[in-house]
Amino acid sequence: MYESLRTPLKLSLGGLLACLLLYASYGEPKPLGEWKWVDIFGEGGTALMSGLWAILILASRPGGRVTWLLAGGLGAIMLGAWVDCLDEFYRVPAAYPWDNWLESLLTPAGMLLLTGGLYAWRQEQASLNQHLQKRERLLREHRAFDRVTELADADYLRRQIRLEQGRSPRLPCALILLDLDHFHRVNREHGQLEGDRLLQAVSHLLLLNLRNHDLLCRYAGDRFAMLLPETGQAEAERIANHLAAMLGQLTHYPRTGGTPLTISARVACAIADCQAEPLLNRLNQALEPQAARSPGFARVIAGQRA
Amino acid sequence: MADYLTQDTACIALNRQPSLLLELGRLRGAEPALLLREAGIPAAGLLDPQRQISPQQYLQLLGQLLRHGKHPELPFLLGQNLLPGHYGAVSHALLQAADAGQALQLLLQYQSLLCPLLTPHLHLGPRQAVLYWTPAYACGSLLPALVEMHLAAVTAMCRWLGDAHLPWRYSFNRTRPRHIEQHQVHLGQQLHFNAPLDALLIERDALAQPWPRGNRTAVEMLLPRIAAPEGAAAARRSLLALLYDWLQQAMRTPPTLEAAASHLRVSPATLKRHLAREGTHFQAELDQARAHVSLYLLHERHYSNEAIAAHLGYHDANNFRRAFKRWTGQTPGLLRSDLDAAG
Repeated sequence: MYESLRTPLKLSLGGLLACLLLYASYGEPKPLGEWKWVDIFGEGGTALMSGLWAILILASRPGGRVTWLLAGGLGAIMLGAWVDCLDEFYRVPAAYPWDNWLESLLTPAGMLLLTGGLYAWRQEQASLNQHLQKRERLLREHRAFDRVTELADADYLRRQIRLEQGRSPRLPCALILLDLDHFHRVNREHGQLEGDRLLQAVSHLLLLNLRNHDLLCRYAGDRFAMLLPETGQAEAERIANHLAAMLGQLTHYPRTGGTPLTISARVACAIADCQAEPLLNRLNQALEPQAARSPGFARVIAGQRA
Repeated sequence: MADYLTQDTACIALNRQPSLLLELGRLRGAEPALLLREAGIPAAGLLDPQRQISPQQYLQLLGQLLRHGKHPELPFLLGQNLLPGHYGAVSHALLQAADAGQALQLLLQYQSLLCPLLTPHLHLGPRQAVLYWTPAYACGSLLPALVEMHLAAVTAMCRWLGDAHLPWRYSFNRTRPRHIEQHQVHLGQQLHFNAPLDALLIERDALAQPWPRGNRTAVEMLLPRIAAPEGAAAARRSLLALLYDWLQQAMRTPPTLEAAASHLRVSPATLKRHLAREGTHFQAELDQARAHVSLYLLHERHYSNEAIAAHLGYHDANNFRRAFKRWTGQTPGLLRSDLDAAG
């Protein structure tokens, strides 16, 4: 990451030094009594801060057009403020017009670049949002994402249920829980790494088979949750069945070779018309293996082994 | 020299439970070398199969893993692989256990090899079995994670070897956590928080259902092979585990620090010092043992307060009620109805 900082740092240090040399060689130093401390702190501080922002941008974003525009704009603003600051120490004779140009051009040019960068960032974010839509929906909270599947966790799901109920209380909103059968055997017999890979495969397959406004979360372990806004019970059951059938078709090839793994899944769905906690309890209960044999309040649909 | 293990005794082979922990760390992006360094364990001789670390170092490793991983799933994942494990003959014996009941007996008998940090205790009532856990060493803030890990370990072992979900009920000596979903998925729906014990409860019939790969004779033939040094290691137990067992036996005498010290063959001053090193003291251990005995008498034997007071050597039921409230935060009456609801 520090590798990518090297060229911009060299460039900006060069710019700062060049300005200093220019003023030192053409201007005459002002006596100490003429220094305006407030201006020095104000302009120097602006230069320091914009430089720091540029470094933060470069260190936290991957390279590319948006990054260069943002960092370049902040760098130019920094140089503009630095020139202003040097003006407090040196008086440049009126015969040299570059002093005025530098002062009046650098900062606006920087702002123009920064504005262009922010606009491009907006476009970039829009395309990222589209990519992330089924994973996050309505709210962004980076701490809630699971490292294995890059899906949101149960905490996030509970908040989304509340959010969805508050947003459109009259439209039905369905929740599906899906549990893989005998997943623990994969961890035991093929190792945790293979288990993680299978969970990733399952999450991709589920994402591909959901609508754009649905939300997929990893509830915990091998249990996934799907929040389907504006969806009734019949439609949710159809989707749940379809997802279980898709998973039944999945063939997973272990990293080490050997027999491909097939899986099956149990699903339970309900309309989210009550508090998140009792709703999740009810669906979890329905997924319990004992409950699966004698279905209770939620409809339980057994997936078919491929 | 005391013949019990303390948190500083090097008694856990690095290639057993700690290696499972390091492996999970590696999968979750925490390099084993880093975890070992942070836990203050010298990396030299890492591959030596005889290399042993102390319970305190094992706990440090666990703490570092949880700090890096920061995911509430980690204790459950660790637990899933803990049993039957790959700990030599004792793991082979578990693999061939005839039923859950025999597996639990093996777990109790070889606790220092199988689950060195928490001590399992098994109460077999007329219909119900209770497997509860007490810390074998000072665990501090890691205790909730250790409890999750061990409850998940027993659950996962029985599910895998028995090829069926057993109808376990779980009780936790803690408030309901935020990450309840991990308990629901890795353990089950029957979860009771704010209970006086960290325990698994089950009907005794379920423990006797034969396991598909079970072979009682094979287990009996394997057991003598758990020979030295493993056998010797298995026989040694932690100070807190030995003291707990003695307190249970000596409950009615009533037990004193001096008597405990002479039973453990150390001087009272040494016992006091060793208990302080484990972050506890004699009275706290005695209170814990008394609380557990009263719970047993309350729940399994349906004793009245008067009968328990007499059993424990209290002058009257009121004194007992007050003491019980101090130990568990609840009165015996409240707990009686609670346990009935849970059981």
